[in-house]
Amino acid sequence: MLQVQNIEKVYGSKNNVTRALDRVSFEVADGEFLVIMGASGSGKTTLLNCISTIDTVSAGKILMDGVNVADLSEAALAKFRRERLGFVFQDFNLLDTLTVEENIGLALSLNHVDPKTVQTRVREIAGKLGITDILAKFPYQISGGQKQRTACARALVAGQSLLLADEPTGALDSRAAKNLLELLSLLNRDMGATILMVTHDAYSASYAGRVLFLKDGRVFNELLRGGRGRSVFYHEILDVLAALGGDVSDVL
Amino acid sequence: MTYCKLALRNARRQARDYLVYFVTMVLAAALLYSFNALAVSDEVQTLAARSANLSLMIALASLAVVCVFGWLAAYSTRFMLSRRGREFGLYLLSGLTNRQVARLFFLENVTVGAAALVLGAAFGGLLWQMLRAVVLAMFAQPYRFALEFSLPALGLTGLYFSLIYLLALGRNRKRIRKMKIYDLLCFDRQNEGTVLRTGKLRRLVFVLSLVLGVAGTCLLLRMDLYVALAGALCAILALFGFFLSFASGVPAFFDRRPARKYRGQNLLIFRGLTAKLASMGMLMAVLSVVFTATLISEGSSSVLYGIMKGRTAESACFDLYIGIEGERLDPGPYLSYIGENIPVERERLYPVCLTGKTQLQDYLEGAYYNNGYGSDPVLRWSDYAALRALAGYPAVEPPGPGQCLIHCMPYLAGPLGTYQEAILVGDSALSPGGLYTEHLSQSYGTANGRGYILVVPDEAAVGLPVHHLAYAAKTARPVTTEQVEALAGLASAERARQEDLSGYAFVLSKAYEEAEVAAQALMVCFPLYYLALALMSTAVTILTIRQLSEMERFRRQFALLHELGMDRREMARALGGQFALYYALPAVPAVLIAVSFIGHLAMMPEPGVMVGINSPAAIVITSLGVFFLIYAIYILLAYTSLKRNVLPK
Repeated sequence: MLQVQNIEKVYGSKNNVTRALDRVSFEVADGEFLVIMGASGSGKTTLLNCISTIDTVSAGKILMDGVNVADLSEAALAKFRRERLGFVFQDFNLLDTLTVEENIGLALSLNHVDPKTVQTRVREIAGKLGITDILAKFPYQISGGQKQRTACARALVAGQSLLLADEPTGALDSRAAKNLLELLSLLNRDMGATILMVTHDAYSASYAGRVLFLKDGRVFNELLRGGRGRSVFYHEILDVLAALGGDVSDVL
Repeated sequence: MTYCKLALRNARRQARDYLVYFVTMVLAAALLYSFNALAVSDEVQTLAARSANLSLMIALASLAVVCVFGWLAAYSTRFMLSRRGREFGLYLLSGLTNRQVARLFFLENVTVGAAALVLGAAFGGLLWQMLRAVVLAMFAQPYRFALEFSLPALGLTGLYFSLIYLLALGRNRKRIRKMKIYDLLCFDRQNEGTVLRTGKLRRLVFVLSLVLGVAGTCLLLRMDLYVALAGALCAILALFGFFLSFASGVPAFFDRRPARKYRGQNLLIFRGLTAKLASMGMLMAVLSVVFTATLISEGSSSVLYGIMKGRTAESACFDLYIGIEGERLDPGPYLSYIGENIPVERERLYPVCLTGKTQLQDYLEGAYYNNGYGSDPVLRWSDYAALRALAGYPAVEPPGPGQCLIHCMPYLAGPLGTYQEAILVGDSALSPGGLYTEHLSQSYGTANGRGYILVVPDEAAVGLPVHHLAYAAKTARPVTTEQVEALAGLASAERARQEDLSGYAFVLSKAYEEAEVAAQALMVCFPLYYLALALMSTAVTILTIRQLSEMERFRRQFALLHELGMDRREMARALGGQFALYYALPAVPAVLIAVSFIGHLAMMPEPGVMVGINSPAAIVITSLGVFFLIYAIYILLAYTSLKRNVLPK
């Protein structure tokens, strides 16, 4: 589905260059749950921004189903984002003025889906994510976990093929974080959602099928979960992070 | 950093962040300074000697303007306080006392006020010159640009500004002194809340507000003081009911129509609007009332000026005109006074006769407001030709054999232009042979007819009964006030001698009447416009401050929408829609109420007065034009700023 080929991202001018991404390459297959890990400043968010077409690469290619996103016009990029990508952010990014139902329906509305079917489709996804009871509430009336579920529903309701999550558990307590991660696993397993998540939390990463480690803008290591249990995979991630010498405090 | 430096830095930031407010306070100072300069100016005082109450009227208007701008300053400073509560809370956390924070806030605002006063006084100097040019033009005096500085006007403006800021800051100072750190930190979370909670009550209030709105407008149109007061009360209640129920009712409307909600940009537009109205429904209602008052002030000012101007243009078309009625019909005393005191270039003394029939009067029934002669009035051709020459109109062909001319006010040109029947004048039957509509002093009982007059060959007028004598003259110099008053004194003396008090002479002078109009306009219309400008700028500033204060929320919203794949054009459309609705809501009810009122007011005077640029339609269009011009400037500035800052690049 997604091919990232030798991408580079350079900030600054001649005498003061920062290389945020340095020849990064990897692929994401349909229905995969991939996590990108790394310490602060390793280039995780820059990579996610480039994939989500919010930012552009300095070199290399990002191919989505064989199409180079750099070749798309501004309008085509906007269309690409609303039809193909779903976003879940650390701080939820729900619109305060809309109810939960409207926040989810917004993604359909942006996709110019027939207004008559919006409500039905919103209720359908809300049922799957267990948020039917809070559809009429506003974001300030619900918990962090419920907000993140709402964000997930919005990210998937329009049939987006790739869900991009940026530290989705960052603003949640441990219980809500666990619930969310289980929900993401469920979406990946049962609904076939392709998920690309960025995190520096080993526990969150242990829910993925594959973990890529970034260090100083380069892919440092890769871990495949295979048939192993989540607990074993979690400890393997911790080992890699220890070798990486990254944010120990983040790991422990 | 010292205390004063901090205050100064904050004041600079405040002027930058709330530029619209600062600009309006500069405008406030400019308005106050220029009108004060007008009120205390010797030149204007001399010109408008007859408007003895000019200074009083401007002082009263200034007092109202001070209250209006005081409200703006009080609202804005309170709003800024709520937005900066966290910052002030941190000052308290850092160890400053409440008293010190209150003083800091006071100093900041006084600095901003002083800066606005200085800039406003400079700008007001130019505005004063503009007003001076208008006033001099009204009095037909030459204008020469002069950079004058009025110390009394500056003193008064300073005094008014002090009052504005004392009104505004007094309460906030007390509030800060009493506030706890927590209160300040959470000050920006305060909301108005939903006033009408249940759907049933909401619907009831909405329907009631519409009924009250229509009833109020109808009562306002009755033009009876007490009825109009009741109408104004109904209209105000209607506006409050409308905004409170509208804010709560829109979500309910869309909840029942989900398909409509998700169409196009509706979701973003209506939710943005309801979020706004939920927190500022009461304020919207107040602003709508203020807009209504603005338009009514503007419109009433134009109508009053139009009435004065229209009546004068018609009646005072000769340098000097005297209509002599009464038992003696003796022009002697007037002519001898004029001979001794007024240099005359040309003059004419002539009779205004009657046909003794009401042929045209009957024909015009309905279009014609009041004849007052009881018969069709007649003028001899020779007198008419002389009058045209005195008034400076081009010569016209005399009536042909068996014909007469008709001279009428423009509003009667339609019906009289199609009159074809022969008109009986004495023993002659004359057919209409031409129609003219220049001003000919035709709106008084002792004028050249009332609304219309027949112009007949001299021989046809022989033997007709005389209604009154008239004297018209072109003078070498404008007739002075003293001369007019002396002639009027002669008329009063003549009237006192008569047994029957019904008839007496009527004196009109072009210069005197025009000066009278200018003086009245200065005394009534200028203060009304002054007040309208203050009301308008205050209301639109508050609206704009509220809109621009949401910049950060808008920025976050559109950044998210950009990430979700909304293209820039759609975002601009959604922003434009939110903007248009936000500014339209308080203006639409105001326009509906005020247009009905102004239109009705402008149609009240007798026919023929409100014509041309003073016609009801023209006055309504002008009032709306001025209103929307100021509105558009603020909207454009706010929209450009918001679009530039909130839409992703």
